[in-house]
Amino acid sequence: MSQSATFTEPTALGHPDPSRISGGLSGRISGGTSGHRSGAGPGAEINLSMRAAVVGTGAISVEHLTFLSGRSRFVELPDRRVKPVAVCDLSPISARYAAETFDVDAHYTDLEQLLEFERPDVVHILTPPSTHVPLASLCLEAGAHVICEKPVAANIDELHALLDVAERCGRKITESHNYCFNPAIAELTQMLTDGTLGSLREVEIRIALPVTDPDGRFGDANLPHPIHSMPAGVIHDFTTHFASLLLHFTGNIRFPRVTAAWSNHSADPLFRYDNLDALMIGNGADGPVHGRFRFEAGAGPDTFTVRVYGSRGWAETDLFQPNTRVVMPRVGGSQLSPIANHVANGAGLIRNGMANLGRKVMQRTPYEGLHLFLDDTYRALATGDELPVTADDMRAVCSLIDQLLEEKTRL
Amino acid sequence: MGRAVVAEAQRRGHYTTVTTRPTSSRTRNGVDDGAPNERTVGSTAEIDLRSHDGLAESLAGVDTVIHLAATKEGDFHSQFAGTVVGTENLLSAMTTAGVRNLVAISTFSVYDYMSIGAGHIVDERSPIDRNPALRDEYARTKLVQEQLYRDFSDAGNQVVILRPGMIYGPNNLWHALLGSDVGSRFLRVGANATLPLTYVANCAEAIVLASELISQPDSNLAGETINVVDDNLPTQDRYATEVAARIDTPPTVTVPWPVMNAVASSIKAVNRHLLGGRAKFPGLFVPDRLHARFKPLRYTNARAKRLLNWSPRFTLIEAIDASVEAEELARASTTGGGNS
Repeated sequence: MSQSATFTEPTALGHPDPSRISGGLSGRISGGTSGHRSGAGPGAEINLSMRAAVVGTGAISVEHLTFLSGRSRFVELPDRRVKPVAVCDLSPISARYAAETFDVDAHYTDLEQLLEFERPDVVHILTPPSTHVPLASLCLEAGAHVICEKPVAANIDELHALLDVAERCGRKITESHNYCFNPAIAELTQMLTDGTLGSLREVEIRIALPVTDPDGRFGDANLPHPIHSMPAGVIHDFTTHFASLLLHFTGNIRFPRVTAAWSNHSADPLFRYDNLDALMIGNGADGPVHGRFRFEAGAGPDTFTVRVYGSRGWAETDLFQPNTRVVMPRVGGSQLSPIANHVANGAGLIRNGMANLGRKVMQRTPYEGLHLFLDDTYRALATGDELPVTADDMRAVCSLIDQLLEEKTRL
Repeated sequence: MGRAVVAEAQRRGHYTTVTTRPTSSRTRNGVDDGAPNERTVGSTAEIDLRSHDGLAESLAGVDTVIHLAATKEGDFHSQFAGTVVGTENLLSAMTTAGVRNLVAISTFSVYDYMSIGAGHIVDERSPIDRNPALRDEYARTKLVQEQLYRDFSDAGNQVVILRPGMIYGPNNLWHALLGSDVGSRFLRVGANATLPLTYVANCAEAIVLASELISQPDSNLAGETINVVDDNLPTQDRYATEVAARIDTPPTVTVPWPVMNAVASSIKAVNRHLLGGRAKFPGLFVPDRLHARFKPLRYTNARAKRLLNWSPRFTLIEAIDASVEAEELARASTTGGGNS
């Protein structure tokens, strides 16, 4: 049973509307840090009746519950427009602890009971990937919308089946493409949409994390992490980030030429792969677009860089330590532009160094994009507008991941 | 700790079933705290408490469980899984297997040090931290674990909770109650506070004694909570001097407790009033954590002595010497004595 509430649309918050337009970025940004909201404009009243439940109380649940309980520091909620009504985990103490920590009234160890007694409007599925499809289907069948952590499905066939369930039930399902919503990504996107970098030529995304560390959560041989059962093994935890970010910049274009080198350089039998080097070449509206994914377990420090190359220049950021570096024609022509780029980027490095110190002290994590994604998703669910991550987006991401894993594309 | 308890239990003639994680080994840290008594027979099982698999089966025929496992490294969720979910699974398996006796190992970290005045005695009646949001992951997860122990006790089982102080011994002589690494230096906080120490072998004996008593029908120990610290506890300065005389210790800078406390309190005030309490600082600058490690307090083991009929066998000097000797033996076996 739903509760009703009314609130007034707040002042727009600063991040882009990430909805994609096939073939490019046009219309996706309304200006730097003053992006617009889809649907009802400022001042419009929206009826909301959102009762949310969370399934799975692992680390990422903290971000979801922080948002749902109105404690997010990344989105300013005018009111408690979403109410977390229950959490669920197979471990009773985990469910109880999460409920107590975030003032949630009910906790369960049985999802079917939760769905029957709490009747949530939205369920956040934050469990291991192999459980996503059955749990999401259960929630959709029970009449709840689903917000699912990535990857929502192991392959495109599973995803199609799940989307069919959603359509049959008249409910919506979306997948967290959280990094697409980070302000640093919005900044790069803006430089492409306003022509600063020219037309898009290449996107290079690099993640370096010590996933094979035996003391880390992926390297623990005592109780292997569930992600190891996915087709790309531990790298499957990151493939959605790679693909969603690439497609965020390119639009949902096809990549007819794909090659991927999947390796296990550690030779640790726990790991299927610990290294990925992938190249994709597609045809965008303005010509060929290259995509490059690198996942590296053996190189430090922790890195998540995204670099976009345009016909006029390139820009790069690190999502773990945001600092946007831009190389492009500047005042002074071709002779002085290199020096002007050094000066501008040096000043930016100092400025962002201080800002990142502040971010660290104030515990601003790279998950701010997740809060913004959730905020947009709830607004879309309330207004009936298109979700910020649509079924088509999910299909495109999942298809690209499948493509990378096909035998014929392997190097 | 596990190796010391097994050694002590076998020394006292008990049959031990030891569960360890698959990747653990008796010599993982290069130090063996004591060889098992060959006259006793024990069994081992490779189990990870974070999973139910094989857990209840491993408890078949067991009278009493001594639960030592905890996760002290990693982020909050890693420690929660290892310490709290692991305990939940163990208690569930004990219920399934019909094992009703539990020696539950907690910690001094559960006390609410902010509400205990400097110079006061910390004993079993001291308040535990009811609002541990500012404490470290270890304290927060051990507090939840203690609640699970109490729930298990309330369900009609025989549970004794032991709270050891800082357990020292081989590979843990220069420890967190002295200070923290800051770059290439070691920052010692305070000099004259009493350290709530217990030598690993002394603590192991207390644990095994508790297991013997809790195994008795209608044990008087059921429902008790007992602090475990040694006799004649040293000050920070004395302990550091004795250890430094025997092993290499890092270059040290000492900050007096009042200075460090004032700095941390000031930062907390600024955080609360100017930053909305949202800023996160290293543990030394968080009073709730600083007090738990360095506040000058007094400690007692009177209850442990009375209820367990226990008296620490090893003095401070004997314990440090034995620890150093064990470390040297381990080093020798790894560098030259490979076929010993």
